[in-house]
Amino acid sequence: MRRQRPLLGTFVEIDAEGLPGHELEHAVDAAFAAVALVGRLMSFHDADSDLSAINRVAAVAPVAVHPWTARVISRALALHRATDGLFDCAIASELVRWKLLPDHGPVTQPATMAAVRLLPDNHVAFDTPLILDLGGIAKGFAVDRAVAALRRHGIRAAVVNAGGDLRAIGPAVPIHLRDPVDPTAFHCAGMLQNGAIATSSAAATLTRFGAGQVSALVRARTCRPIIDCDAYSVIAGTCMVADALTKVLAQLRQPDAPCFGCLGAVGFITQPLATPQQTTALRAQ
Amino acid sequence: MRWTPALAIPAAIVCTVPGKATVYLTTEQAQRTIFPGATFTSTARPGVFRTSNGGYLVIDQVVGKHENITYAVGINPNGTVKQIEILQYNESYGYEVRNASWRAQFVGKSAASPLQLNGDIKNISGATLSSKHITDGVKRILNMYETSLKGAR
Repeated sequence: MRRQRPLLGTFVEIDAEGLPGHELEHAVDAAFAAVALVGRLMSFHDADSDLSAINRVAAVAPVAVHPWTARVISRALALHRATDGLFDCAIASELVRWKLLPDHGPVTQPATMAAVRLLPDNHVAFDTPLILDLGGIAKGFAVDRAVAALRRHGIRAAVVNAGGDLRAIGPAVPIHLRDPVDPTAFHCAGMLQNGAIATSSAAATLTRFGAGQVSALVRARTCRPIIDCDAYSVIAGTCMVADALTKVLAQLRQPDAPCFGCLGAVGFITQPLATPQQTTALRAQ
Repeated sequence: MRWTPALAIPAAIVCTVPGKATVYLTTEQAQRTIFPGATFTSTARPGVFRTSNGGYLVIDQVVGKHENITYAVGINPNGTVKQIEILQYNESYGYEVRNASWRAQFVGKSAASPLQLNGDIKNISGATLSSKHITDGVKRILNMYETSLKGAR
Protein backbone atom coordinates (compact mmCIF):
# COMPACT_ATOMS: atom_id res chain seq x y z
CA MET A 1 0.00 0.00 0.00
CA ARG A 2 1.32 3.38 -1.01
CA ARG A 3 -0.20 6.59 0.35
CA GLN A 4 0.78 10.24 0.27
CA ARG A 5 -0.43 13.16 2.37
CA PRO A 6 0.65 16.81 2.54
CA LEU A 7 2.24 17.17 5.99
CA LEU A 8 5.18 19.14 7.51
CA GLY A 9 4.89 21.60 4.61
CA THR A 10 5.92 18.88 2.18
CA PHE A 11 4.70 15.56 0.76
CA VAL A 12 4.93 12.55 3.04
CA GLU A 13 4.75 9.17 1.36
CA ILE A 14 4.36 5.85 3.14
CA ASP A 15 4.85 2.59 1.27
CA ALA A 16 4.18 -0.44 3.47
CA GLU A 17 3.29 -4.08 3.04
CA GLY A 18 2.92 -7.37 4.88
CA LEU A 19 -0.46 -7.09 6.60
CA PRO A 20 -4.03 -7.78 5.46
CA GLY A 21 -5.74 -4.73 3.88
CA HIS A 22 -7.65 -3.37 6.82
CA GLU A 23 -4.81 -3.81 9.33
CA LEU A 24 -2.35 -2.27 6.87
CA GLU A 25 -4.60 0.76 6.47
CA HIS A 26 -4.82 1.09 10.25
CA ALA A 27 -1.00 0.94 10.57
CA VAL A 28 -0.42 3.51 7.81
CA ASP A 29 -3.02 5.81 9.41
CA ALA A 30 -1.18 5.58 12.73
CA ALA A 31 2.12 6.39 11.01
CA PHE A 32 0.64 9.49 9.32
CA ALA A 33 -0.88 10.51 12.68
CA ALA A 34 2.60 10.40 14.26
CA VAL A 35 3.99 12.63 11.47
CA ALA A 36 1.07 15.05 11.87
CA LEU A 37 1.68 15.25 15.63
CA VAL A 38 5.35 16.12 15.10
CA GLY A 39 4.18 18.85 12.71
CA ARG A 40 1.75 20.30 15.25
CA LEU A 41 4.36 20.25 18.03
CA MET A 42 7.42 21.49 16.17
CA SER A 43 6.23 23.74 13.35
CA PHE A 44 7.97 27.13 13.27
CA HIS A 45 5.12 28.52 11.15
CA ASP A 46 2.32 27.52 13.54
CA ALA A 47 2.00 30.05 16.37
CA ASP A 48 0.27 27.39 18.53
CA SER A 49 3.09 24.82 18.38
CA ASP A 50 5.29 23.80 21.33
CA LEU A 51 8.18 25.35 19.45
CA SER A 52 6.46 28.75 19.13
CA ALA A 53 5.64 28.65 22.87
CA ILE A 54 9.31 27.98 23.63
CA ASN A 55 10.45 30.82 21.39
CA ARG A 56 8.00 33.24 23.04
CA VAL A 57 8.63 32.37 26.68
CA ALA A 58 11.70 30.15 27.34
CA ALA A 59 14.09 33.10 27.76
CA VAL A 60 11.92 34.34 30.63
CA ALA A 61 10.63 31.16 32.29
CA PRO A 62 10.84 27.39 31.69
CA VAL A 63 8.22 26.07 29.25
CA ALA A 64 6.57 22.64 29.60
CA VAL A 65 6.58 20.73 26.31
CA HIS A 66 5.39 17.39 24.91
CA PRO A 67 7.83 14.51 25.58
CA TRP A 68 8.54 14.28 21.81
CA THR A 69 9.54 17.97 21.65
CA ALA A 70 11.81 17.45 24.65
CA ARG A 71 13.31 14.39 23.00
CA VAL A 72 14.10 16.26 19.77
CA ILE A 73 15.68 19.13 21.70
CA SER A 74 17.70 16.65 23.75
CA ARG A 75 18.98 14.93 20.58
CA ALA A 76 19.62 18.31 18.92
CA LEU A 77 21.78 19.34 21.90
CA ALA A 78 23.71 16.05 21.72
CA LEU A 79 24.28 16.55 17.97
CA HIS A 80 25.33 20.16 18.61
CA ARG A 81 28.03 18.87 20.96
CA ALA A 82 29.03 15.92 18.76
CA THR A 83 29.60 18.22 15.77
CA ASP A 84 31.53 20.95 17.62
CA GLY A 85 28.56 23.27 17.28
CA LEU A 86 28.15 22.92 13.52
CA PHE A 87 24.65 21.52 13.96
CA ASP A 88 22.81 24.40 15.55
CA CYS A 89 19.05 24.98 15.71
CA ALA A 90 19.61 28.55 16.97
CA ILE A 91 20.55 29.96 13.55
CA ALA A 92 16.83 30.65 13.02
CA SER A 93 17.23 34.34 13.84
CA GLU A 94 19.19 34.69 10.58
CA LEU A 95 16.51 32.80 8.63
CA VAL A 96 13.88 35.15 10.05
CA ARG A 97 16.00 38.18 9.16
CA TRP A 98 16.39 36.85 5.59
CA LYS A 99 12.62 36.26 5.46
CA LEU A 100 13.05 32.52 4.93
CA LEU A 101 11.04 31.95 8.13
CA PRO A 102 8.05 33.96 9.40
CA ASP A 103 8.65 36.65 12.00
CA HIS A 104 6.69 35.90 15.20
CA GLY A 105 8.34 38.58 17.33
CA PRO A 106 11.48 40.56 17.93
CA VAL A 107 14.50 39.12 16.16
CA THR A 108 17.23 38.43 18.67
CA GLN A 109 20.96 38.63 18.32
CA PRO A 110 22.53 35.47 16.93
CA ALA A 111 23.06 32.90 19.70
CA THR A 112 23.98 29.22 19.82
CA MET A 113 22.19 26.14 21.06
CA ALA A 114 24.59 26.05 24.00
CA ALA A 115 22.17 28.51 25.63
CA VAL A 116 19.29 25.99 25.47
CA ARG A 117 18.67 24.01 28.66
CA LEU A 118 16.51 20.93 28.98
CA LEU A 119 15.13 20.75 32.54
CA PRO A 120 13.40 17.87 34.35
CA ASP A 121 9.80 16.98 33.44
CA ASN A 122 10.16 18.08 29.82
CA HIS A 123 10.74 21.76 30.52
CA VAL A 124 12.85 23.96 28.25
CA ALA A 125 14.63 27.21 29.15
CA PHE A 126 16.94 29.62 27.31
CA ASP A 127 19.91 31.23 29.10
CA THR A 128 19.83 34.11 26.62
CA PRO A 129 17.11 35.25 24.22
CA LEU A 130 17.26 33.21 21.02
CA ILE A 131 15.06 31.74 18.32
CA LEU A 132 15.01 27.99 17.88
CA ASP A 133 14.01 26.27 14.64
CA LEU A 134 13.74 22.49 14.60
CA GLY A 135 13.37 22.43 10.81
CA GLY A 136 16.78 20.78 10.47
CA ILE A 137 15.89 17.74 12.53
CA ALA A 138 12.12 17.42 13.16
CA LYS A 139 11.35 16.03 9.70
CA GLY A 140 13.79 13.19 10.29
CA PHE A 141 12.33 12.62 13.75
CA ALA A 142 8.83 12.47 12.22
CA VAL A 143 9.99 9.79 9.78
CA ASP A 144 11.45 7.78 12.68
CA ARG A 145 8.18 8.06 14.64
CA ALA A 146 6.22 6.92 11.57
CA VAL A 147 8.51 3.90 11.20
CA ALA A 148 8.08 3.14 14.93
CA ALA A 149 4.29 3.26 14.51
CA LEU A 150 4.45 0.89 11.52
CA ARG A 151 6.68 -1.52 13.46
CA ARG A 152 4.34 -1.42 16.46
CA HIS A 153 1.55 -2.56 14.15
CA GLY A 154 3.63 -5.50 12.95
CA ILE A 155 4.95 -4.10 9.66
CA ARG A 156 8.41 -5.36 8.71
CA ALA A 157 8.86 -3.85 5.22
CA ALA A 158 8.22 -0.17 4.53
CA VAL A 159 9.61 3.13 3.26
CA VAL A 160 8.59 6.45 4.82
CA ASN A 161 9.64 9.49 2.78
CA ALA A 162 9.00 13.00 4.12
CA GLY A 163 9.77 15.24 1.17
CA GLY A 164 13.17 13.67 0.52
CA ASP A 165 14.19 12.53 4.00
CA LEU A 166 13.45 8.82 4.07
CA ARG A 167 13.88 5.66 6.08
CA ALA A 168 13.52 2.07 4.89
CA ILE A 169 12.91 -1.09 6.90
CA GLY A 170 12.97 -4.60 5.47
CA PRO A 171 14.60 -5.51 2.15
CA ALA A 172 17.14 -3.26 0.42
CA VAL A 173 15.55 -0.59 -1.79
CA PRO A 174 17.07 1.52 -4.61
CA ILE A 175 17.51 5.16 -3.63
CA HIS A 176 17.24 7.94 -6.20
CA LEU A 177 18.57 11.41 -5.74
CA ARG A 178 16.81 14.46 -7.07
CA ASP A 179 19.18 16.76 -8.91
CA PRO A 180 19.84 19.79 -6.67
CA VAL A 181 19.35 22.28 -9.52
CA ASP A 182 17.03 20.51 -11.96
CA PRO A 183 14.29 18.90 -9.85
CA THR A 184 13.05 16.92 -12.84
CA ALA A 185 16.27 14.89 -13.06
CA PHE A 186 17.21 11.92 -10.90
CA HIS A 187 20.42 10.06 -10.18
CA CYS A 188 20.75 6.55 -8.89
CA ALA A 189 22.49 6.84 -5.52
CA GLY A 190 22.59 3.23 -4.32
CA MET A 191 20.77 0.54 -2.36
CA LEU A 192 19.69 1.09 1.24
CA GLN A 193 18.68 -1.57 3.73
CA ASN A 194 17.32 -0.80 7.21
CA GLY A 195 18.55 2.75 7.31
CA ALA A 196 17.79 6.36 6.53
CA ILE A 197 18.97 8.95 4.01
CA ALA A 198 18.44 12.69 4.02
CA THR A 199 19.56 15.29 1.51
CA SER A 200 19.87 19.07 1.77
CA SER A 201 20.82 21.61 -0.83
CA ALA A 202 21.13 25.37 -0.72
CA ALA A 203 19.88 25.40 -4.32
CA ALA A 204 16.32 24.66 -3.12
CA THR A 205 16.08 27.88 -1.07
CA LEU A 206 18.49 30.25 -2.83
CA THR A 207 16.88 33.70 -2.86
CA ARG A 208 17.98 37.23 -3.36
CA PHE A 209 18.28 39.29 -0.17
CA GLY A 210 19.54 42.86 -0.29
CA ALA A 211 22.56 43.01 -2.52
CA GLY A 212 23.39 39.30 -2.21
CA GLN A 213 21.89 35.85 -1.99
CA VAL A 214 20.79 33.77 0.99
CA SER A 215 19.68 30.18 1.55
CA ALA A 216 18.25 28.14 4.41
CA LEU A 217 21.61 26.37 4.85
CA VAL A 218 23.63 28.46 7.29
CA ARG A 219 27.20 28.24 8.58
CA ALA A 220 26.82 28.03 12.36
CA ARG A 221 30.18 29.72 13.09
CA THR A 222 29.77 32.77 10.85
CA CYS A 223 25.97 32.91 10.40
CA ARG A 224 26.58 33.28 6.66
CA PRO A 225 24.42 31.38 4.17
CA ILE A 226 25.84 28.56 2.05
CA ILE A 227 25.57 29.59 -1.58
CA ASP A 228 26.31 26.61 -3.78
CA CYS A 229 24.34 24.16 -5.86
CA ASP A 230 25.59 20.83 -4.49
CA ALA A 231 23.40 18.22 -2.77
CA TYR A 232 24.56 17.01 0.65
CA SER A 233 23.34 13.50 1.52
CA VAL A 234 23.83 11.55 4.72
CA ILE A 235 22.95 7.93 5.43
CA ALA A 236 22.46 6.91 9.06
CA GLY A 237 20.60 4.45 11.25
CA THR A 238 17.87 6.95 12.05
CA CYS A 239 16.38 9.64 9.84
CA MET A 240 16.79 12.23 12.61
CA VAL A 241 20.58 11.81 12.62
CA ALA A 242 20.71 11.73 8.79
CA ASP A 243 18.59 14.91 8.58
CA ALA A 244 20.71 16.80 11.12
CA LEU A 245 24.05 15.75 9.65
CA THR A 246 23.23 17.02 6.13
CA LYS A 247 23.61 20.54 7.58
CA VAL A 248 26.99 19.58 9.01
CA LEU A 249 28.18 18.06 5.72
CA ALA A 250 27.13 21.22 3.88
CA GLN A 251 29.45 23.24 6.13
CA LEU A 252 32.39 20.82 6.31
CA ARG A 253 32.25 19.46 2.74
CA GLN A 254 34.27 16.51 4.09
CA PRO A 255 32.39 13.19 4.16
CA ASP A 256 35.37 11.63 5.96
CA ALA A 257 35.19 14.05 8.93
CA PRO A 258 35.25 12.08 12.20
CA CYS A 259 31.80 13.21 13.41
CA PHE A 260 30.08 11.17 10.67
CA GLY A 261 31.82 7.90 11.57
CA CYS A 262 31.30 8.54 15.29
CA LEU A 263 27.54 8.78 14.70
CA GLY A 264 27.49 5.73 12.41
CA ALA A 265 26.77 7.87 9.37
CA VAL A 266 28.05 8.02 5.78
CA GLY A 267 27.97 11.26 3.81
CA PHE A 268 28.37 12.08 0.14
CA ILE A 269 28.15 15.16 -2.04
CA THR A 270 26.48 15.26 -5.47
CA GLN A 271 27.23 17.99 -7.96
CA PRO A 272 24.30 19.12 -10.08
CA LEU A 273 24.03 17.76 -13.60
CA ALA A 274 22.05 20.77 -14.68
CA THR A 275 23.28 22.77 -17.63
CA PRO A 276 25.30 25.93 -16.97
CA GLN A 277 22.29 27.92 -18.21
CA GLN A 278 20.02 26.36 -15.57
CA THR A 279 22.57 27.00 -12.85
CA THR A 280 23.02 30.60 -13.96
CA ALA A 281 19.25 31.13 -14.04
CA LEU A 282 18.95 29.78 -10.50
CA ARG A 283 21.74 32.00 -9.25
CA ALA A 284 20.09 35.02 -10.88
CA GLN A 285 16.71 34.42 -9.18
CA MET B 1 21.94 -0.14 8.28
CA ARG B 2 23.50 -1.22 5.01
CA TRP B 3 24.37 1.19 2.21
CA THR B 4 25.63 0.07 -1.19
CA PRO B 5 26.53 3.09 -3.29
CA ALA B 6 25.97 3.06 -7.04
CA LEU B 7 29.40 2.66 -8.55
CA ALA B 8 29.07 4.70 -11.69
CA ILE B 9 29.12 8.44 -11.34
CA PRO B 10 26.24 9.84 -13.35
CA ALA B 11 27.73 11.45 -16.42
CA ALA B 12 25.61 11.38 -19.54
CA ILE B 13 22.00 11.92 -20.40
CA VAL B 14 20.62 8.54 -21.35
CA CYS B 15 17.04 9.33 -22.21
CA THR B 16 14.14 11.56 -21.38
CA VAL B 17 10.88 10.15 -20.14
CA PRO B 18 7.61 12.05 -20.63
CA GLY B 19 6.50 12.18 -17.02
CA LYS B 20 6.12 10.26 -13.85
CA ALA B 21 2.59 9.55 -12.65
CA THR B 22 1.97 7.92 -9.31
CA VAL B 23 -1.60 6.91 -8.58
CA TYR B 24 -2.27 6.46 -4.87
CA LEU B 25 -6.06 6.29 -4.70
CA THR B 26 -9.06 6.35 -7.04
CA THR B 27 -11.95 8.67 -6.15
CA GLU B 28 -13.89 5.71 -4.72
CA GLN B 29 -10.93 4.55 -2.65
CA ALA B 30 -10.40 8.10 -1.35
CA GLN B 31 -14.07 8.22 -0.33
CA ARG B 32 -13.76 4.95 1.59
CA THR B 33 -10.43 5.97 3.13
CA ILE B 34 -11.49 9.40 4.35
CA PHE B 35 -15.12 8.58 5.32
CA PRO B 36 -15.21 4.83 6.07
CA GLY B 37 -18.71 3.40 5.94
CA ALA B 38 -20.34 6.57 4.58
CA THR B 39 -22.35 6.84 1.37
CA PHE B 40 -21.80 9.66 -1.13
CA THR B 41 -24.13 11.84 -3.19
CA SER B 42 -22.88 13.85 -6.15
CA THR B 43 -23.63 17.57 -6.09
CA ALA B 44 -24.08 20.07 -8.91
CA ARG B 45 -20.35 20.79 -8.74
CA PRO B 46 -18.06 18.25 -10.35
CA GLY B 47 -15.76 16.55 -7.83
CA VAL B 48 -17.84 17.63 -4.83
CA PHE B 49 -19.67 14.88 -2.92
CA ARG B 50 -21.96 15.13 0.09
CA THR B 51 -21.51 12.35 2.64
CA SER B 52 -24.32 10.56 4.50
CA ASN B 53 -23.08 12.01 7.83
CA GLY B 54 -23.36 15.64 6.62
CA GLY B 55 -19.74 16.15 5.59
CA TYR B 56 -18.24 16.81 2.18
CA LEU B 57 -15.52 15.30 0.07
CA VAL B 58 -13.92 17.55 -2.54
CA ILE B 59 -11.60 16.35 -5.31
CA ASP B 60 -9.31 19.11 -6.58
CA GLN B 61 -6.21 19.60 -8.67
CA VAL B 62 -3.25 21.95 -8.22
CA VAL B 63 -0.41 22.66 -10.59
CA GLY B 64 3.00 23.35 -9.11
CA LYS B 65 6.27 24.31 -10.72
CA HIS B 66 7.14 20.75 -11.70
CA GLU B 67 4.10 18.78 -10.68
CA ASN B 68 0.39 18.38 -11.15
CA ILE B 69 -1.45 16.92 -8.17
CA THR B 70 -4.96 15.56 -7.72
CA TYR B 71 -6.01 15.41 -4.10
CA ALA B 72 -9.09 14.90 -1.94
CA VAL B 73 -10.17 16.93 1.07
CA GLY B 74 -12.65 15.47 3.56
CA ILE B 75 -14.64 18.15 5.40
CA ASN B 76 -16.36 17.28 8.69
CA PRO B 77 -20.02 18.31 9.24
CA ASN B 78 -18.68 21.14 11.48
CA GLY B 79 -16.59 22.56 8.62
CA THR B 80 -13.16 21.41 9.82
CA VAL B 81 -10.77 19.42 7.65
CA LYS B 82 -11.01 15.69 8.40
CA GLN B 83 -8.26 14.41 6.15
CA ILE B 84 -6.32 15.20 3.00
CA GLU B 85 -5.12 12.45 0.66
CA ILE B 86 -3.10 12.70 -2.52
CA LEU B 87 -4.86 10.75 -5.30
CA GLN B 88 -2.40 11.24 -8.12
CA TYR B 89 1.00 12.91 -8.37
CA ASN B 90 2.38 13.78 -11.82
CA GLU B 91 5.82 15.22 -12.34
CA SER B 92 4.72 17.20 -15.35
CA TYR B 93 8.14 18.06 -16.75
CA GLY B 94 9.31 14.50 -17.07
CA TYR B 95 12.68 13.35 -15.96
CA GLU B 96 16.00 12.57 -17.45
CA VAL B 97 17.70 9.34 -16.69
CA ARG B 98 21.38 10.01 -16.76
CA ASN B 99 22.97 6.93 -15.39
CA ALA B 100 23.50 3.54 -16.97
CA SER B 101 23.67 1.80 -13.60
CA TRP B 102 20.31 3.27 -12.78
CA ARG B 103 18.87 1.61 -15.86
CA ALA B 104 20.62 -1.66 -15.10
CA GLN B 105 18.52 -2.23 -12.00
CA PHE B 106 15.44 -2.48 -14.18
CA VAL B 107 16.84 -5.01 -16.59
CA GLY B 108 14.56 -8.01 -16.68
CA LYS B 109 11.68 -5.93 -15.41
CA SER B 110 8.85 -5.70 -17.96
CA ALA B 111 10.38 -4.74 -21.28
CA ALA B 112 13.47 -3.30 -19.59
CA SER B 113 12.85 -0.09 -21.47
CA PRO B 114 13.36 3.05 -19.41
CA LEU B 115 10.52 4.55 -21.43
CA GLN B 116 8.16 2.19 -19.66
CA LEU B 117 9.27 3.14 -16.18
CA ASN B 118 6.50 5.68 -15.59
CA GLY B 119 5.57 5.59 -11.95
CA ASP B 120 8.42 3.28 -11.08
CA ILE B 121 10.86 5.79 -9.64
CA LYS B 122 10.50 5.47 -5.92
CA ASN B 123 12.46 6.41 -2.81
CA ILE B 124 13.62 9.82 -3.95
CA SER B 125 15.90 11.70 -1.60
CA GLY B 126 16.45 15.39 -2.21
CA ALA B 127 16.00 18.89 -0.91
CA THR B 128 12.49 19.28 0.44
CA LEU B 129 9.72 20.10 -2.02
CA SER B 130 7.14 22.54 -0.73
CA SER B 131 3.48 21.56 -0.54
CA LYS B 132 2.35 25.17 -0.17
CA HIS B 133 0.17 24.99 -3.30
CA ILE B 134 -1.85 22.19 -1.63
CA THR B 135 -2.26 24.36 1.48
CA ASP B 136 -3.51 27.18 -0.76
CA GLY B 137 -5.86 24.75 -2.54
CA VAL B 138 -7.33 23.58 0.77
CA LYS B 139 -7.91 27.22 1.80
CA ARG B 140 -9.75 27.79 -1.46
CA ILE B 141 -11.92 24.69 -0.87
CA LEU B 142 -12.76 25.79 2.70
CA ASN B 143 -13.79 29.19 1.30
CA MET B 144 -16.07 27.45 -1.18
CA TYR B 145 -17.48 25.37 1.69
CA GLU B 146 -18.20 28.48 3.77
CA THR B 147 -19.78 30.43 0.93
CA SER B 148 -21.75 27.82 -0.97
CA LEU B 149 -21.73 24.31 0.51
CA LYS B 150 -22.36 24.93 4.21
CA GLY B 151 -26.02 24.50 5.09
CA ALA B 152 -26.96 23.57 1.50
CA ARG B 153 -29.08 20.45 1.34
